[in-house]
Amino acid sequence: MGDLNAEKRARGIGNLGDPKNPYDYFEREYGTVPPDGKRAPFRWVSEVAYKNVHRIVARGYDTTELMEEGYGVVDTLFVDYQARIPLVEETQMLNYLMILALEDGLSMPAAISRLVARSKTFLTQACGASILAFGHAYGAYSAFGNRLETYLKKAGDEGLGPEAAAELLVRENLNDEALGVSNLMLNDPAARRVFARADKLGVAGEHIAFMRHVVAAAQRQSPEPVDLDMLGAIGAAMLDLGFSPEATWAIMAVTRAYAAGAHYIEEVEREGTTRLGEELTSPDRYDGPPERPVPPLKDRPQPSEAAVCQTSEQWKKRFEEMKGLQGSGFSLIEEIEDPSKKSGIKKVGKL
Amino acid sequence: MAREPALNRRTSISYKTEERTVLRGYNLSDLAEEGYSFCDALFVLFQGRIPTQNEEKMLDYEMGVFLEHSMSPSAVGAIGVITGRPNLPCAVAAAIMTFGGVHGPGAAHGYMLNKYIERARVEGKSIDEMAKILVDEYMDAGRPVMGMGQPQHVDSDPRAEPIHLKQEELGLQGVYLEFQRALEKHFHARRKAAGRSYVGVNVVGSGNTALMEIGFSPNAGWCIGSVTRGFSCAAHALFNMKKGRAWGASRNEPMVQMIDLSMIQYVGPEDRIVPKQEERQEYARKQKETGEYKQWVI
Repeated sequence: MGDLNAEKRARGIGNLGDPKNPYDYFEREYGTVPPDGKRAPFRWVSEVAYKNVHRIVARGYDTTELMEEGYGVVDTLFVDYQARIPLVEETQMLNYLMILALEDGLSMPAAISRLVARSKTFLTQACGASILAFGHAYGAYSAFGNRLETYLKKAGDEGLGPEAAAELLVRENLNDEALGVSNLMLNDPAARRVFARADKLGVAGEHIAFMRHVVAAAQRQSPEPVDLDMLGAIGAAMLDLGFSPEATWAIMAVTRAYAAGAHYIEEVEREGTTRLGEELTSPDRYDGPPERPVPPLKDRPQPSEAAVCQTSEQWKKRFEEMKGLQGSGFSLIEEIEDPSKKSGIKKVGKL
Repeated sequence: MAREPALNRRTSISYKTEERTVLRGYNLSDLAEEGYSFCDALFVLFQGRIPTQNEEKMLDYEMGVFLEHSMSPSAVGAIGVITGRPNLPCAVAAAIMTFGGVHGPGAAHGYMLNKYIERARVEGKSIDEMAKILVDEYMDAGRPVMGMGQPQHVDSDPRAEPIHLKQEELGLQGVYLEFQRALEKHFHARRKAAGRSYVGVNVVGSGNTALMEIGFSPNAGWCIGSVTRGFSCAAHALFNMKKGRAWGASRNEPMVQMIDLSMIQYVGPEDRIVPKQEERQEYARKQKETGEYKQWVI
């Protein structure tokens, strides 16, 4: 391969020989890297489950034995996510919550499922797509739960107490989609019944108690009538059952995917398919630039018309102008970070 | 045939009649007929304009260099999904969705640059000064500086610096490249002063800088990069579908498969007896009281 590099050096390749490169490009080796003998070879490391030829074990419990002993799928969720056998009342509560989470009419997960179904896909594509509808607004159990835990911690660590911490939470997040309090359930008692059921089963804990303060604070601060909604009810109850916000997010999204499967089936049974090019979108719904001729290639914009900005003031001017172009992305600002709680499993892999 | 759209939305992106499809005012067919490239069309899509020739070349270069990356989370995701033999698009979709806060965080890098360029403007600081502030703020907080370092190309990402050089060659240096170059300078200096190893710029740091410079927003740039990778991940999935072994666990293959039983290393709670239902409440109560289980909660 040394000869190949020498030949390439002699021929030159674009900018690859430029001294600005922090290396000599034409000295870089070819071929794959041999296995690393200093570390253990890769394996699928898990605290959750293992299997061998004869059994499948989750958190130490053989899953077949679990079922033989009269446990069920909902119990297994406690085993997988929390490594423990739940109390009967905890299982009853999770069953209750999963029933509530199963169906939500033709809301986004069902709608996506049906859209995917129209392309004659596998059912699993539609179910998977429905799960993608769960974000930080719809079914925002991660955002809701992490926030609730943050302010509950403030209540203790900063000596605020739950009432003041709830006031603060609402003051700083009143209009957020993941507050768990809104005007969505004013005429439907289902959300409030969740807390009543948790009380009855004896599984209501600090999160439900804190959420009650949040609801009261929101009702004081909101200019319009609001009450506990389904996100707040299910989210707080799940935290009291010991599930993390992320586990709740996953469990509730997967729960809904069963219903998405039914929506897929019904769409296929009752409606037709959609072919490429079939759907038309009327110019009446279009509010972009008016139709214009495509300029000949020789008349394409000159270098001086490039988007490149030389100063922060020029940059700002263009940035603001581009906000006017819907679909360009210039009006969006998001927080995209590494959600890992911890990176790496150091206790395995040493030889 | 009912031809109404499934979604009824106002849009400034496109419309379609029986006669034509119009993107940002341009008939798509006319764009192709006039000899414009696919990259040109992406400028029309996200920016509503036809680019200069060099802007188009820059995008073409960036997309080409980003398209294939052998075994990254995206390709591995595609391969993992296709072992179950769903429809191929499932594997491709999964690959694209691996792009997040760590793998190819193009939007995050873009938002970071925008935030600090705006701060430079508002606080009256030079780009160089603000780049140093960024590096110091991130490193003081123990946060990784977006766009620096790559876990596999530890000796400098082979795509990264050439993208910077191409941008310069094409005369497309602006405020973003100035900021990114300054960021790299201060980043290297700070690590060197601390006696730490060299960590080069990665393809997000350079590629996204180029995309932003030629006028794309952080999300548009992220979309372009991530979706471009979908092409190669589809090839990896297809290779495995056509020539690999489904399920990834066959003992009949000469090489140990991806999820062969021997590949599993379990480090969770020890094997234990499942309590009978009559023992359950007492058992479950005791488990909760001791709290030992909490170390395993995820």
